[in-house]
Amino acid sequence: MSDIHAQQGLPGLRLEEAQPVAEGALTLRNLLRRPWFIRLLAVGFLLFIWQWVTWVNTRVPGIDEIVRFMVTEITGGSHGGMLSGEFWGPLSLSLRRYAVGLVIGIPIGGALGLVIGSSRWARGLFNDTVLVLLALPAVVWAFLASLWFGLSSEGPILAVVLTAVPFVAVNLAAGVRNIDPGLIEMSRSYGVPPGRRLVHLLLGGTLPSAFTGVRLAFMTGWNSLLIVEWFGATSGVGWRARFWYDALRYPGFVAWIFLFVLLITLLDRLLLSPLERRAFQWNQQPTLTFEEEL
Amino acid sequence: MATVLIENLTKVYPPSLNHPTQVQALGGLNMSVTGNVFVAIVGPSGSGKTTLLNIVAGVERPTSGSVRALHEGVPAQIGYVFQEPRLLPWRTVVDNMLYVQDRKSDQLRREAEFYLKMVGLSEVSHLYPSQLSGGMQQRVGIARAFLVNPDVLLLDEPFSHLDSLTGRALRDYLQRIWLQTRKTALFVTHDVTEAVELADRIVMLRPGGVAYDDIPIDLPRPRRPDDPAVRDMQAEVISRFDAMGAAVRFGAQSR
Repeated sequence: MSDIHAQQGLPGLRLEEAQPVAEGALTLRNLLRRPWFIRLLAVGFLLFIWQWVTWVNTRVPGIDEIVRFMVTEITGGSHGGMLSGEFWGPLSLSLRRYAVGLVIGIPIGGALGLVIGSSRWARGLFNDTVLVLLALPAVVWAFLASLWFGLSSEGPILAVVLTAVPFVAVNLAAGVRNIDPGLIEMSRSYGVPPGRRLVHLLLGGTLPSAFTGVRLAFMTGWNSLLIVEWFGATSGVGWRARFWYDALRYPGFVAWIFLFVLLITLLDRLLLSPLERRAFQWNQQPTLTFEEEL
Repeated sequence: MATVLIENLTKVYPPSLNHPTQVQALGGLNMSVTGNVFVAIVGPSGSGKTTLLNIVAGVERPTSGSVRALHEGVPAQIGYVFQEPRLLPWRTVVDNMLYVQDRKSDQLRREAEFYLKMVGLSEVSHLYPSQLSGGMQQRVGIARAFLVNPDVLLLDEPFSHLDSLTGRALRDYLQRIWLQTRKTALFVTHDVTEAVELADRIVMLRPGGVAYDDIPIDLPRPRRPDDPAVRDMQAEVISRFDAMGAAVRFGAQSR
């Protein structure tokens, strides 16, 4: 019985003392509070659904088939007949195209966004063009790139550039326009020179929207690369997925698509999200109050 | 010694979406402030108080007339405390203070710490504004204004967004720091209580930005709101406001 009730002599009331649970103990209740565990559960649930679908529909390849297929691709083993595994070649080529496209596209989009956001003239000149770029689906770029460059690397790179530019530009322009006019007034009243304003006010103030734009550029650039390689290339991840699709080897097709999704997810989780958290550590809830300070 | 000379100052805002007709904020205002004095500018909404400070700070241009803020013959350094703190959210407290400074040095960082300490914020220089309460952010704004060693200090209703307790505490900080530095100050408020507590002189503006009255406040410092002499002066200023027919907030009775 609790001490208080015992002291007060309250009859007929017994309280069981709660058993203390260590903060880090591996109980199900504790695990369900952890975001990584919930994410793991979600992935497990999806895999279960997939496996269940393969039991009721034999045309959907099972997880084990896909894993076996990918192992053969990675190790360069035989898929039967004249076909042998290929993995690092297509993957590195796609990654190179992707990186080149982003390195070109993000700065162009950034500069365009800054100009559109800060000048009414530039907004009138470029805004509609950027919106058209934004609205065009990646498959259109795939066909245009094949027409212009044939089956080469330039097509996929151009598609990544043209996909990245509008996403970065639109978000950055919105960021520039959303800078608090009060901060601009404050800077002017203190005579802060334009160079310092550009670095600390403009770039600092647009960082959240720039991050959103870059993140979208990473995502959509990768998607558009796959599509262009599918339709307009003879190498790369997209081409390899199509190769197995045309060969009616569905485990191969699904394995490459799965790899494609896995790569962009890992890129987001391991690089972009941590970078974003680090860049926005200033955006926190109040930890001190006036009363505490007094 | 700093001087602020305001001659025939007029500011007319053209029609806009919010105001379909043009708005006269200031209508031929004449005023001069010389020396280490604390001048309060009071008046109802629409009397052009904030516009006046913005023109003195160079943020806005007058429609006609002139404003000259000089210190020993050269343009005076301005320090501006706004209604809201206006801090860059992505920079720490000390970096916000250094942002408005041309030189960067350890000495300046120490000066920033000194002014933060003067407004009662000794341990927050490494924090971001979002980690501070509204009152603390406003104190950073006050410390920032003093860090530039201003010849003329402009204060635009710096306590209007704060609760009364926090506002009173900040008035005490401001009074203490001003007594040590004695900067020429133009303090805009519509609260007569604040004006009498802080100012050497109260200039009343009526709607349309025309000077109505100029009242010297000759009371010893530091002043406390519960001091009978301060209360008497507040009553007198309020009665003169009533005479002007302006809406005045009777803060003195509720504090």
